[in-house]
Amino acid sequence: MPADTALLKVENLVTRFKSVERGKWVKAVDGVSIHLNPGEIVGLVGESGCGKSTLGRSIVGLEKPQSGRVLLDGVDLGTLGGRKLRETRRAIQYVFQDPYASLNDRQTIGEAITEALIIHGVADRTEQRRRILELLDQVGLPAVLAERYPRELSGGQRQRVAIARSLAVEPRVLICDEPVSALDLSIRAQVMNLFLTLQKELGVACLFIAHDLALVRQAASRVYVMYLGKVIEGGSSLDVYARPGHPYTSALLASVPSADPRIEALREAPVLKGDIPSPTNPPSGCRFRTRCPQAMAICAVNEPETVALSSGHSAACVIAEQVHRGEVIAPKVH
Amino acid sequence: MSTSSPILTVRDLSIDLFTARSALRPVDQVSYSVAAGETLAIVGESGSGKTVLNFAPLGLMPLGVSIHVSGSIRFDGKELVGMNDEALRKLRGGSIGVIFQDPMSALNPARTIRRQIAEVAELHLSLTSTQAEARALDLLKMVRMSDPEARLRQYPHELSGGLRQRVMIAIAIAAEPKLLIADEPTTALDVTVQAQIIALLKDLQKRLNMAMVLITHDMGVVAGIASRLAVMYAGRVMEYGPVQSVLTAPRHPYTMGLIDAIPRAEDLPGSTFRGLPGMPPVLGAPIPGCAFVERCRHAVPTCETARPLLAPTADRHVLAACPIVNRSSEALHAG
Repeated sequence: MPADTALLKVENLVTRFKSVERGKWVKAVDGVSIHLNPGEIVGLVGESGCGKSTLGRSIVGLEKPQSGRVLLDGVDLGTLGGRKLRETRRAIQYVFQDPYASLNDRQTIGEAITEALIIHGVADRTEQRRRILELLDQVGLPAVLAERYPRELSGGQRQRVAIARSLAVEPRVLICDEPVSALDLSIRAQVMNLFLTLQKELGVACLFIAHDLALVRQAASRVYVMYLGKVIEGGSSLDVYARPGHPYTSALLASVPSADPRIEALREAPVLKGDIPSPTNPPSGCRFRTRCPQAMAICAVNEPETVALSSGHSAACVIAEQVHRGEVIAPKVH
Repeated sequence: MSTSSPILTVRDLSIDLFTARSALRPVDQVSYSVAAGETLAIVGESGSGKTVLNFAPLGLMPLGVSIHVSGSIRFDGKELVGMNDEALRKLRGGSIGVIFQDPMSALNPARTIRRQIAEVAELHLSLTSTQAEARALDLLKMVRMSDPEARLRQYPHELSGGLRQRVMIAIAIAAEPKLLIADEPTTALDVTVQAQIIALLKDLQKRLNMAMVLITHDMGVVAGIASRLAVMYAGRVMEYGPVQSVLTAPRHPYTMGLIDAIPRAEDLPGSTFRGLPGMPPVLGAPIPGCAFVERCRHAVPTCETARPLLAPTADRHVLAACPIVNRSSEALHAG
C-alpha cells in the first residue's frame, strides 16, 4: 500500500485491557495497520466491540498501546517525550461522540475555545477574540454564541463548538468518533457537510469512526472494516461497498435496511446469526469464522492472509478473490 | 393491510406536561389507529413527542412531572384516558407489551433471566411459580435464544445487547399481548443484530396476531416491518398513511426532507449531504401556525398563523398536515 506519502501511519498497533477474568487480557486492537493521506477522509467501520474506538483513542494517546507504532509525517510518536510529544500530538485532534459530555457546563463557548487557543500559544486577547470569531464562522455558528453556555445550545450546535475547539490548535488530523450519531436525522447532514468543507478548505485529514455504513460511504474516499480487533478489509469506498472482498463486509452491507419498502419486501432471512464473540477468547484462525456463512475447516486453523484485490483494496479471507468477483453466493439485498 | 376493526384508536390526543419550571405540550392533537396483526410506525426526531405519546397514557412518565391528557385512547373496548393506576398496571405487561430502547436499564441487574420472565407470567397469567418458570423456557425458545436452558440461569450483564433485547421481547410477549409497543427496539443494536431482531418481531407478530406500534427514527426499519406510518414533528402528526405511499412518494415537505436526507447508493464519496436547513423547534407552548414553517421552503404567510390539520391528499389514503400539499403537489415534487 502506498503509505510513504502518508500523513498518519499506524503500524501493527496492539492495545489491550485487563479482562474481568483474572490474569486474562482483552486485545481490543490486535495488530492493526492503517494510514491516512494528507487532506483525506477515511472511514473506519465495524460493529460495537470491534475495537474501532480503541484504535482512535490509541492514536491520540487516550489509551496506551502495548506495541506498534503511530507515525506522524514519518516521526514515531513513541520516540518522543514530554513537551515535544505534546506539541506533535496537538496536530491530531479528537472529536467525541457526545457533545453533551465533551463540553464544560460552566464555561462559555468563547472560554472553551480560548482554553484551546492558549494551549496553542495564542496569548494576545485581541488575537484570541479574532480567532474565536473566525473559528465559529468556520463551523457555521453565529458570533453571538461565544457568550453563551453549552446548555443554551442544541446538540448540533454543541458538536460544532467541539469541532471549533479542536480546530483552534490548527490540527492536521481529526479523529472523529461517531461525531453525528447523537444528532437528529435532519441535523446530521449539516454537520457532515461541515466535515467535507473543513477537509476542502483547511485540508484537514479525518479518520471517521462510525457504525453508519451509508454515512461513511458518502463521506470517505477510503474505508477500513474492523472485526474483533483486526482490520479485515480496506480499500476505496466505491470498491469496498460495490464489491466487498470479505464475507463479513458483504454481510454487514446486506444487513443495512433500505428505506424502500419494495426492496425490503424481498429481503431474505438475516445472513448473520448471533453476536460478535467475546474478545477475551477470540475464535482460533479467522475470527469471523463462527458467524461466517462460508466458513471452511481451514478457517479454524490459520489466520487468513491479507489478499490484494485491486488497487489499494485488500481483504483478509481465504476466498477474498471469489467474494470480490461475486462468485460466492453472497446475500444480495440491493 | 388488515381490514379488521382497530384494536387501538387514538383520537385528538393532547398531552401537557408541567414541571416545576415549565409547561410543555409534547403531544398536540394526535390521532391514529392500529388493527390486530398490523404495525404502525411512528417516526420523529428527538423532542417530536413520539415516546411521550405512547408511554404517558400508560402511566409511564418520569417522576416530578404532572401531566394532563385530553382526547381519547380506546384500546380493546376500554378508554385509557382517565383510567385508574391499578387498571393501567394490569394492562401493562398484560394485554399491552412494551419493549424499550435500552434493555440493560429496563432489566433488573440482580435477578436471573428466569425470574424476570416468570414474574410477568405469574402476575398476568396467574401461573404458579413452577408453571411460570416452564413458561419462561418456552418464551426463550420462542424468541429463538441459543441455549435457552443455560440463559435462564444467567443475569443481564452476562448477555450481549442482542440477547438482552431478546429477553425484553420474551418478557413483553409473556402474557400474549394484543398490542406491542416497541420504543426504538433496535437503535442500541448493531446492524447485523438489528436485522435478526426485526425478523424476530415480524415473525412473532404474525404468530400472535399482535398489533404493533413501533417508535423509531430509522426509515429502513420502518420499510422492513411497518404497514402504516405516522411522521411526527414537534408533537404533531405531519403525514400519515400506508408505508409504501409515504416512503416512496412523501407529500409533506418535512417527510420529503427526511427521506431525501437518506444517503443513496448513487451518491458519490465526497458529495454534499442532503438535509434540512435550520433546527427543530424547542418544545414549549403550542405553536400557533405550522410547526415546520421556519424550515419549509414552500411556506406561505398563512402557515405562520393557521395550524394546518391532517387532511386527505390526492391519494386519499395519505393524510398530510400541509395547506399547499394538495393544491400544488406536482410543483412540490418537481422542486
